[in-house]
Amino acid sequence: MEIFEADVLIIGAGGAGLRAAIAAAQADPSLTIALVSKVLPMRSHTVAAEGGSAGVIQAHDSLENHFNDTVHGGDWLCEQDVVEYFVSEATAELIQLEHWGCPWSRKPNGQINVRAFGGMKIERTWFAADRTGFHILHTLFQTSTHYPSIKRFDEHFCLDLIVADGRAQGATVLSPSTGAFTAIFARSVILATGGAGRVFRQNTNGGIVTGDGMALAFRHGVPLRDMEFVQYHPTCMPGSGILFTEACRGEGGYLVNKDGYRYLQDYGLGPVTTEPRNKTMELGPRDRLSQAFWQEERKGRTFVTPQGESAVYLDLRHLGRAKLKERLPLIFGLAEEFMGLDPAETPIPVRPAVHYTMGGILTDINTATPLAGLFAAGECSSVGIHGANRLGSNSLGELTVFGRVAGQEAVKFARGAPAVDPARLADQAKASIAKALSVRDRKGGGERHSVIRKEMASTMEKGCGIYRLGPEMQETCEKLAELKRRAEHITLDDRSDIWNTDWLAALELGYQLDVAEAMAHSALLRKESRGAHQRLDGFEKRDDERFLAHSLARYRPGAAPEISYGPVKITKSQPGERAYGARGEQLEKKDGAHV
Amino acid sequence: MNERRPYRRPMPGNWWAKPPYRAYTARELSGVAVAAYGGVLFAGLLSLSRGPESWAGFVDFLKSPASLLLHVLLLAAVIFHVITWFQTLPKTMPKMIVNGEAVPPKKITRIATIFAGAMSLALVFFVLGAAQ
Amino acid sequence: MSEPVNAESAVLQKTFELRILRYTPGRDEEPAFGSFQVTGAEGMTVLEALQTIKDTLDGTLSYRWSCRMAVCGSCGMMINGTPRLACSTLLRDLPPGPVTVEPLQNFPIERDLVISVDAFVKKIESVYPYLIPKEQKTVAEGPHLQTPAQMAAYESFSDCINCMLCYAACPQFGENPDFIGPGAMAMLQRYNGDSRDGGRQKRLDTIHGEDGVWSCTAVGICSEVCPKQVDPANAVNQNKTNSAFDFFLRFLRTEQPQ
Ligand SMILES: Cc1cc2nc3c(=O)[nH]c(=O)nc-3n(C[C@H](O)[C@H](O)[C@H](O)COP(=O)(O)OP(=O)(O)OC[C@H]3O[C@@H](n4cnc5c(N)ncnc54)[C@H](O)[C@@H]3O)c2cc1C
Ligand code: SF4
Ligand code: FES
Repeated sequence: MEIFEADVLIIGAGGAGLRAAIAAAQADPSLTIALVSKVLPMRSHTVAAEGGSAGVIQAHDSLENHFNDTVHGGDWLCEQDVVEYFVSEATAELIQLEHWGCPWSRKPNGQINVRAFGGMKIERTWFAADRTGFHILHTLFQTSTHYPSIKRFDEHFCLDLIVADGRAQGATVLSPSTGAFTAIFARSVILATGGAGRVFRQNTNGGIVTGDGMALAFRHGVPLRDMEFVQYHPTCMPGSGILFTEACRGEGGYLVNKDGYRYLQDYGLGPVTTEPRNKTMELGPRDRLSQAFWQEERKGRTFVTPQGESAVYLDLRHLGRAKLKERLPLIFGLAEEFMGLDPAETPIPVRPAVHYTMGGILTDINTATPLAGLFAAGECSSVGIHGANRLGSNSLGELTVFGRVAGQEAVKFARGAPAVDPARLADQAKASIAKALSVRDRKGGGERHSVIRKEMASTMEKGCGIYRLGPEMQETCEKLAELKRRAEHITLDDRSDIWNTDWLAALELGYQLDVAEAMAHSALLRKESRGAHQRLDGFEKRDDERFLAHSLARYRPGAAPEISYGPVKITKSQPGERAYGARGEQLEKKDGAHV
Repeated sequence: MNERRPYRRPMPGNWWAKPPYRAYTARELSGVAVAAYGGVLFAGLLSLSRGPESWAGFVDFLKSPASLLLHVLLLAAVIFHVITWFQTLPKTMPKMIVNGEAVPPKKITRIATIFAGAMSLALVFFVLGAAQ
Repeated sequence: MSEPVNAESAVLQKTFELRILRYTPGRDEEPAFGSFQVTGAEGMTVLEALQTIKDTLDGTLSYRWSCRMAVCGSCGMMINGTPRLACSTLLRDLPPGPVTVEPLQNFPIERDLVISVDAFVKKIESVYPYLIPKEQKTVAEGPHLQTPAQMAAYESFSDCINCMLCYAACPQFGENPDFIGPGAMAMLQRYNGDSRDGGRQKRLDTIHGEDGVWSCTAVGICSEVCPKQVDPANAVNQNKTNSAFDFFLRFLRTEQPQ
């Protein structure tokens, strides 16, 4: 085992981790920052984000509008003080990215261009064609190479955190390419490990999105907040789940059922317009659109694709080839390469797939978790801006705003923290290594991780899908407990040291099962419908009396997680009716309030 | 514990003879034809400087079937070289931006090839005209 | 809540044969092919076939992947001898018969389809891959202006996903592993071509000489295999001219390059 002594340790080098690293390096260049990622930083899943990042920039828009859209979109489960901070900082971060070179799409006069996005009252989504996340990630990665105090551990897999004296003091990592272990000691630690969408079957997430950081914090006693809220994105490739960005609809695409009918008008999202209209029809929020798909499917108005999945059509034909190639080149290529169709000529079959975890590691507005010295930012965290349903294009903004905060706060904490005691910490690291090795070298159990993973993904889809039922969620909880038991008996094909991806996959499955349990149990106990959590078993309504509260899942070794509830911070926006389309506009007119 | 031991595959010595590199090799080899023709011209120049007899010998050589064959071959090789070189041209020059958009490489190749063809034809007609 | 039963059985199934170059350090002296029969959906990608092998036939098979949508740049490999992304190569689009899958050409093999990436990362780090602003501006002063025409000058280079397919196609990189190569040159040109950047000279100073642009003999296949139409050959060859001019002009320059 090697030892590396850092001041600040950042686990995860996606958008959030890289932004944190740069902020930390700028805040105090004398500190050593260790930046760990299980893949090369530019492979992190931020790379896949297509549509854009929200930040108020137009004269007729306001921070107030962005605040209201976010809080209403989140069905009032947002921390309103955090949302207020977020919307006030988002634009500055987008400008900062511009100064670092991010190739934002421009108007002919050279100014930043913005596009419409679901649930947003006014166009405020900055975009770089339909490769926004790609450009943000590459810009941040490339910029980070400018800072010599950032010591990268590329392709290093985090096995466990090191926690002593009630504070986080480092992590134990494995390098698959050398087979060597390193204990990284630090005075503060940031988790920026991204989401967990891979616990579901059909999802838009990359193979690396396995909830590792969530599980690590969880196992060390940090609560996971609002885990029942999992976002289904309405327009994904049937079978693989690959995403067709919301920008397709922002640019004016239609969703039609098998009869060519724009069915969203039947679900409170009308009136039908030819041109895209904010917060109406296709530009409604994701939870509503995914639910409408589910209803159409029940009514037999969807069709079955060659992959055996039911689907509706995303019709982009009327936008014309030139616009599609300029604004949505990636989408164009995906349709051509993966589905063999020309989106300028043929509507694209799409269906909902799991996309985003609203919940995550509990943090305060400064990204600090309840465990001293441990911070979290990005999709792995729950800082409180998304509530029960994230609005598209609020997540990339979250990475930069709270990535920066995390970097600065971690530096502050590191400066004030006592030095680490290497001898004691090394023992902990050795224990984590022994545990990981036991997973690799275990014999005779006969279970395969690929089988357990598939069963986990199916049971999550069944119990925690777009609509949920008590007995089915109960079944999922039980199934997960069974899978966790069986996972103790996984035997690997591969026991070698170098690039043993069989082993890494088994370790990731361990993380996934913990995260899945937190989701399923949180879902089971939320006896209401709110945002992305919709029930059909007598709890169809939002229940502010009992459930205007954050769920908090706490890890219990060898048992199901314990679920409790915490208060929601409400500052200016009292819970009201969450309406879109004509009804939304009506409400807005009535009380002069923003909907 | 087994150790990292990256394996370096040897680079095949004949890579240039295999597709997709064959086309590149042919392009580079056809460049030899340009040099060869330069040699022919230089020989002409030399014989001119050595007096009328030598020059007449050179002209006789040009009339020989061997020389005609050589010229046909060289012409073919040079045309091949020109066409393939123009296919490479867009890769060697700064991006051409017209009306805010980069001109696609194929278009640059097409324009350059047509231009070169037109110039060559013009030259041929000019020489034929002057000879009459 | 459960979805209606899918018509799984309706999915057209097909069996494909994959010949994969395998190598485990410490066990194998040198790489050797292994053969697998994979049954799956007719529209399966090469990546999905590898995943099926790993999940059901042989868990020791190693390869990199993540996004499966041709954007993260992880899954480059030689498929039937051509560098391609496994996730965007559909088996049905390949000629019938066994499909050969090898690690990317010209790179040291770490294990199976996993190659060494460290040298490539060092190369991109060496070209000052960040904006060196022409004029300092604070965030409060707002974004720079940049017209679509100014963007078009570097846009294709900024689309590079660092997949390294171009290196696998480059015989000169095969001959000289220290050659900076197409991908890193695309990165260099991405910034040198950016109207907001003022670091051109600094970057040019990194690419003179044999390991710089001058190893390139304009083979051009790098641009043909690039999955993102980056045209890295253009980045390299433009900079031959720039490097040559710079070489002669440096005698005229009064101040020394830093
Ligand atoms: C297809 C798609 C499109 C999207 N489009 C948009 C959009 O248009 N707008 C928007 O706002 N949001 C969008 N999102 C959401 C947004 O992109 C993500 O929420 C966000 O990118 C997550 O960034 P992150 O930095 O938190 O994590 P990631 O970018 O996922 O990075 C996680 C990092 O953690 C590292 N890591 C994880 N586990 C370990 C471990 N065990 N050891 C070491 N390192 C580890 C990884 O290597 C990686 O570097 C989209 C998401 C998807 C999937
Ligand atoms: S230039 Fe093209 S082939 Fe080369 S690394 Fe970039 S995207 Fe890949
Ligand atoms: S898996 Fe990301 S490019 Fe193929």
